[in-house]
Amino acid sequence: MHELVEFAVEKAQELGASYAEARFEEKNGTEIVMKNGNPEGLGILADRGIGIRVLVNGGMGFASTNVLTKESVEEAVKKAVKLAKAAAKLRNKPIQFSEEDFHQVFYEVKMKKDFRDVSAEEKMEYLKLIEERVKETGVNVPMRFLRYGDFMWHKIFMNNEGALVESLIPRVSVTYNLVVFEEGQMEQAPFIQRAFSGGLELIEKDKPWEWAVKDVKALQKLIKEGQKPPEGKVDVVISPEVAGIAVHESVGHPYELDRIMGREAAQAGESFVKPEMLGERIGSEAVTVIEDPTIPNSWGFYLYDDEGVKARPRYLIREGIINEFLMNREYAAYLGMKSNAAARAINYNREPIVRMANTYLAPGDYSFEELIEDVKLGVYMVSFNEWNIDDRRYQQRYIGREAYLIENGEIKHPVRRPILEITTKGLWSSVDAVGKEVEFYPGTCGKGEPGQGVPVWMGGAHARLRDVVLRR
Amino acid sequence: MFEINELILKKAKELGFGDVVVLAYEQNRRQVRFANNEITVAKNWHTQKVNLFVEYQKRLASTTLTALDEKTIEKTLQMLMKSVKNLAPKEDYYGIAEGPFEYKDIPETFDKAIVGLDEPNEYVEAAINAALEEGAKRTAGVLYTDHNKLYLTTSNGVEAFDEGTGIEISIRAFIGDEESGHGTNSVRVLKKFDPESAGRKAGEIAKMAVNPVQGEAGTFDVIFDPLAFANLMSYMSFMASAFAVEAGFSFLVGKLGQKVANDIVTIKDVGNMPNAYGTRKFDDEGVPTRETTIIENGTLNTYLLNTSFARKYKRETTANAGLLMPEAWNVYVEPGDYSKEELFSEVKRGIYITNVWYTRFQNYVTGDFSTIPRDGAFLIENGEIVKPIRNIRVSDNFQHILESIAALGKDLYHIHWWEVATPVFTPYVLVKDVGITKATK
Repeated sequence: MHELVEFAVEKAQELGASYAEARFEEKNGTEIVMKNGNPEGLGILADRGIGIRVLVNGGMGFASTNVLTKESVEEAVKKAVKLAKAAAKLRNKPIQFSEEDFHQVFYEVKMKKDFRDVSAEEKMEYLKLIEERVKETGVNVPMRFLRYGDFMWHKIFMNNEGALVESLIPRVSVTYNLVVFEEGQMEQAPFIQRAFSGGLELIEKDKPWEWAVKDVKALQKLIKEGQKPPEGKVDVVISPEVAGIAVHESVGHPYELDRIMGREAAQAGESFVKPEMLGERIGSEAVTVIEDPTIPNSWGFYLYDDEGVKARPRYLIREGIINEFLMNREYAAYLGMKSNAAARAINYNREPIVRMANTYLAPGDYSFEELIEDVKLGVYMVSFNEWNIDDRRYQQRYIGREAYLIENGEIKHPVRRPILEITTKGLWSSVDAVGKEVEFYPGTCGKGEPGQGVPVWMGGAHARLRDVVLRR
Repeated sequence: MFEINELILKKAKELGFGDVVVLAYEQNRRQVRFANNEITVAKNWHTQKVNLFVEYQKRLASTTLTALDEKTIEKTLQMLMKSVKNLAPKEDYYGIAEGPFEYKDIPETFDKAIVGLDEPNEYVEAAINAALEEGAKRTAGVLYTDHNKLYLTTSNGVEAFDEGTGIEISIRAFIGDEESGHGTNSVRVLKKFDPESAGRKAGEIAKMAVNPVQGEAGTFDVIFDPLAFANLMSYMSFMASAFAVEAGFSFLVGKLGQKVANDIVTIKDVGNMPNAYGTRKFDDEGVPTRETTIIENGTLNTYLLNTSFARKYKRETTANAGLLMPEAWNVYVEPGDYSKEELFSEVKRGIYITNVWYTRFQNYVTGDFSTIPRDGAFLIENGEIVKPIRNIRVSDNFQHILESIAALGKDLYHIHWWEVATPVFTPYVLVKDVGITKATK
């Protein structure tokens, strides 16, 4: 396959491209779905193809094909070059890429228990285990949607500036949706996912069936013992899961430089952040937010991005100050900077765009008990359901699913659906203390057109928000 | 492609599979993305693939084949058989449709002029210029052209072919950071394409939205622009699928035959609508697409079904296969008899919401959700727009919204864009007593 990738890059240059890259991708995997105890079916994923991106006269063209012959690839290269030429005519300023150091590397994530050696029947056992364990709790769960998925993601990336990056990254996940129905009331934990880069040993160590049991028990308790949350100005302690969604939505997204510069304006939106806001205070000194693709076995893992740039941790907020944006080569060049390897594509038929990987609220030095002990009245929000944020990433809302009252330094009964609707600056300025332990939760981050749902982790440590308005 | 379909079917039967569906695609899709009034990237996708569904003694498996040589086909089928053989059966599987069927040509779904279109950038320019003429400072959006061929072969005697085209644009116009508007236009034949109308609408709303003030929380009568209401209906289409109902992703669970909307509300899925982006001649089992009334005068009439779900519930298929998951083709909200002006004149104090995004559910089965107005939103007093507002959120319940629909416009708009993946035909809609919230701090 290397020859075909190289051929595409060379052909594009012959046809007049000043920049050319080709990316071969292959995904092979399995999907198993079970609904209400019935195996719905087995899906086999076997997808491969090549995508070519070029710059000609400052215009950008992209074409892909899944017919992997020289003729078909040549046809795609011709289309990409032609499209780039035509696009150049409707540009005010030619597109340029930042200067980078490139490498020729191969890397892979090893599996201790290789899912390619395991039968579908055995994989189905993970889902059956969730069914059994949930049943054993005695909680009434009439609707159960379960999904197991794995795939090996093989990529070969090459550009005309010396990059050659080949990678093999396996990914495994278990997803569930459980509806608890007790005492005529219904609570739902929709689309909970446990997901990793690596082998089946990670699922077995993580035990999604235990997460499911914890969820249904918490929802049952919420139905039986849940009370109204306090209203008005209180303290709120958010869990790593809630901190994770908050940093993803209100820090990761608005720091994507393509969005800041308006490229995503018609789809995923814009940003309240402007380039000149680097160095401005956005949160308290307790807040540091890191974006790191290199965390071993993470769902958002990679060591080189889809432009061949070497990845590293990125400090988006350092002690409350806006420190760094997420960048690809095109948008780094606008600011005269170097890319920090945030270019990702979900498949061979998608262009690489600025994306997150693993975003988290960095740990502080408080134990969980210390975070709680001097809260007179507040709520501990453990998990969330409904959430959303405006397209400038400034006003957001998180509704607690599992949540508890905190009174005089103690965690009391569950509370129903506390609503935190707050601005980004309001949220991060309210944090006065952060816990010591970091946890991560997987997600699929949506952006781009056509849509590119990329695997990400979100997380962090517990955090305490002082004097924020909570609603019912 | 039919030779390949036949080969796959033959080999699958030889291996012992029961029901087999082979759905082959040949797709040519072109995209032009633009932002800040210039093209950011232009793309072309060429795809040949076969979606394959097989059944072995109630055990189901599916895959997509992209390499279509005989060796790969054989290897894949053998792997599928090996994988499903030891799985437990899906006890509530009841088979696929019995063909063959007869198909009618659906008007305005194919146009040679789109296939032969060399360069669509002039349409992008036309939309941008229309928005700028209305007063916009910058625009962003996307244009697509599509040419698709579909070949379906099943083990129950279906051999069907469909060929379709399309062209569409979605454009957002901006004046400042918080003043924006959005317009779309999606058609299947070139002569009906009107990119300027999309640009003009985006520009007009952006201009109206200049200097917005913070909106207030409370309960308001809301006029949803077709763009905004289509977003909600797109979710509604998913929730009408029998699969979503069984899996707990729908507020329609257990409500067949019950009132779920105001009497004036009738919502359909129309798979065979001329000039609609989701139209196809047949569903994934080969059943000719048709019109299905999901909600009739406020009462839930049916879920969207494939043959297996239909047999399970002792009903007829609604021609919405998806083999695992029935899906809508084109959602159609029956219009009312109000002009846009008459609709506004019904509102003493309310809000006009031109677009929403990021609809998320607190609980699918209860239908509690929120969604965020995006682009211009406006306060209405005594039937007139008095000022633009910003930073509000619709926080309500899906069934409550449907039950509170007080009036429907008489003109329908075809909406299909990034946030509305299933095409929707909807008028302007007036909903009473909608919950509006805003962020504090």
